[in-house]
Amino acid sequence: MSDQDLVVETVRDILSGFEPFALTAERRWDAGLWGALAEAGLTGVGLPEEAGGSGGELADAVAIVATVARGAGAVPVAEQLLVAGPALLAADLDVPSPEQPMTFAVADAVTVHPVDNGDGPGRFTLTGTVTDVAWAGVAAHVVVLAPAPAGIEGAVLALIDASGLPATDAFNLAGEPRGSLVLDEAPASGSLLTEAQAGEVRARYALARAVQLAAASEQVLAWTVQYAGERHQFGRPLGRFQAIQMELAEMAGEVTAVTALTDAAVQALDRGENVVLAAAAAKVRAGAAVEVVARLAHQVHGAIGFTQEHKLHHLTRRLWSWRDEAGSDLAWSRVLAGGLLADGPDGLWPAITRVV
Amino acid sequence: MTLAPAPASEAAEQVRAEVREFLAAELAAGSFQTHVDTWLSGVDPAFSKKLGERGWLGMTWPKEYGGHERSAMERYAVTEELLAAGAPVAAHWIADRQSGPNLLAYGTEKQRQEILPRIAAGECFFVIGMSEPDSGSDLASIRTRAVRDEAGDWVVNGAKVWTSNAHHSHYGIVLVRTSPSDSSNRHAGLSQLLIDLSLPGITINPIRILDGGHHFNEVVFEDVVVPGDMLLGEEGNGWHQVTAELAFERSGPERFLSTYPLVAEFGRRVAETGDPAAVATLGRLSARILALRQMSLRIAAALDRGELPNIPAALVKDVGTTFEGDVIEEIRRVVDVTPSLESPDPLGRALAEAQLHAPGYTLRGGTNEILRGIVARGLGLR
Ligand SMILES: Cc1cc2nc3c(=O)[nH]c(=O)nc-3n(C[C@H](O)[C@H](O)[C@H](O)COP(=O)(O)OP(=O)(O)OC[C@H]3O[C@@H](n4cnc5c(N)ncnc54)[C@H](O)[C@@H]3O)c2cc1C
Repeated sequence: MSDQDLVVETVRDILSGFEPFALTAERRWDAGLWGALAEAGLTGVGLPEEAGGSGGELADAVAIVATVARGAGAVPVAEQLLVAGPALLAADLDVPSPEQPMTFAVADAVTVHPVDNGDGPGRFTLTGTVTDVAWAGVAAHVVVLAPAPAGIEGAVLALIDASGLPATDAFNLAGEPRGSLVLDEAPASGSLLTEAQAGEVRARYALARAVQLAAASEQVLAWTVQYAGERHQFGRPLGRFQAIQMELAEMAGEVTAVTALTDAAVQALDRGENVVLAAAAAKVRAGAAVEVVARLAHQVHGAIGFTQEHKLHHLTRRLWSWRDEAGSDLAWSRVLAGGLLADGPDGLWPAITRVV
Repeated sequence: MTLAPAPASEAAEQVRAEVREFLAAELAAGSFQTHVDTWLSGVDPAFSKKLGERGWLGMTWPKEYGGHERSAMERYAVTEELLAAGAPVAAHWIADRQSGPNLLAYGTEKQRQEILPRIAAGECFFVIGMSEPDSGSDLASIRTRAVRDEAGDWVVNGAKVWTSNAHHSHYGIVLVRTSPSDSSNRHAGLSQLLIDLSLPGITINPIRILDGGHHFNEVVFEDVVVPGDMLLGEEGNGWHQVTAELAFERSGPERFLSTYPLVAEFGRRVAETGDPAAVATLGRLSARILALRQMSLRIAAALDRGELPNIPAALVKDVGTTFEGDVIEEIRRVVDVTPSLESPDPLGRALAEAQLHAPGYTLRGGTNEILRGIVARGLGLR
């Protein structure tokens, strides 16, 4: 038993009381599931108790995010546990109560002004539109990474109270809210980050999505293997046909590659080594596997898998969405290649053996 | 199929640095040139001997047999550095990778004493004698026969084919039928013989691959008398022994790095031009390499713990050899280079070498279709 098995079991128990459902504009998240997770202290895992969290390690937080992803739970645990919470901590900012959902967004088009209202440093106002906000309209707080005020190098990590802010109706392919928030001199507490620190925050976001992609891919494979054992045609289970076996084996190869690399990237984050390149690689590899995993899962499931009644779409639609979020495949591929070539044209191999 | 992480190893990083320094010096001195797929085609006994002198062959074996008692992680670092540099490692590759470990597992004391130190010294090379003209994927159907004569020696008749580097090697571990085939148990009655390839009655005929290179052969046995004490392991246990070899044969870094020298050349081009599409392609290829490395390293660690991870090994070989071929297509989509073995451009040459060797990647060592069958069994489907 690994140290995380108990966490996984607890999350599974909770998930069993909340069937995944097709998200709509009216029902954009699973408030009941969030409440149950929060009540069990699971929405503060990985954040120290002094900061209002429940303690625990990165591995515990990852296990929660992965298990919720497998169960297609419509709650912002990835954003809160793996990105927003740890980023606030690292920037020496106060973390809001973990019982309230918090999300993270990169806000490149927002301008930030320092304010001195007598409260001391670390107060800012933010103006502009933050696009692609995961769980916009759901999250009570948004941690944004925005360009530093004019004349200052680096970036600002700021915590915004989102409760009064209207969000536009935009959704990813799985119906998860991805709207925009319009900020008009929104007050925020914040910290200045160096470019390198800002890069690590972006990488955390990408790695969070990679963890979700890996877990959901594993689950899709498991569902597909199970279905191939149950569904009979021509008098035998689908899994007895060699063509189907080839497809499932191909999926298994992709899933194993993704889980091995994502696991290694999480460990790199834990050690604080090569975080950006490790996360970039995990995100790109996990995103690439989606093509094979989702395509073959649907092929093997036949028409039943093409319906909203069947559970498969809860994860395949998320896979198709998550691979393009938190920085596109193209963007992270370039970050990875750029980093690996940083030591010059002959530096590729040494860099490859260093990353994870 | 979750694989436990490989342990971090200071010693592996140390030996990696030593190998890099050695390879840079050898390249600078012109002792070899980088090529694609050198573990098939880069035969250079002098180079193998240099590796042996440095303690980089038989690395994990006991010292009493000429080994160095180093960890699987150290060996992994050495082999992947050699492959990444496109160094000529074909002469000793099979002996170091699988024949030696096979002898350690099943050989008699005499066989080990006589042969292992020579492999570790880079002076004794091996072939795999499994495939036959009528037996490829269906290995259990082989027909090469060995019969005991009155003196207790084995008399071997039959033919092996696709035998890589038989014309440069000293011994073969040859799978033979030692009792008539039994349709109720196809895997029974097979044995492995350790055969000195210079014995009378053995003919080695070259077979040329697509680029005209002579790497594999037909090996014909006509009344070849093999001394009785050259049985490897137990009579009738051949199938089990062959299967155990496969985890070593299938999971190493040569199952995704055969075309790495092409990637390295492409990386150099990308560093020069900075072309955005090519940069992105390099990123995607690198992410795939990083994932394969993790799988392969983790399997090496499992082998080191004494496990026999046959299913993950089949899986990494399937994913890895598919990658080796994909590299060619991914790169040619984003560079304007004509592949040619005569190209003045090193990228054009590497593309040509990789392309002409490509059909072999997904065939040798068990085809990808067969591997996926093994994975499917691991998934509980058969
Ligand atoms: C470069 C190279 C080096 C080699 N070196 C050696 C060596 O040193 N020693 C040695 O013993 N062998 C060697 N081989 C042989 C190698 O192991 C065989 O090529 C391999 O096992 C496949 O056998 P085959 O070529 O006869 O193809 P076949 O078995 O005839 O297969 C032909 C095609 O049919 C498919 N197929 C076969 N059976 C099935 C099935 N049940 N289900 C689905 N598809 C199936 C295969 O996947 C393949 O696509 C080498 C091969 C190559 C290419």
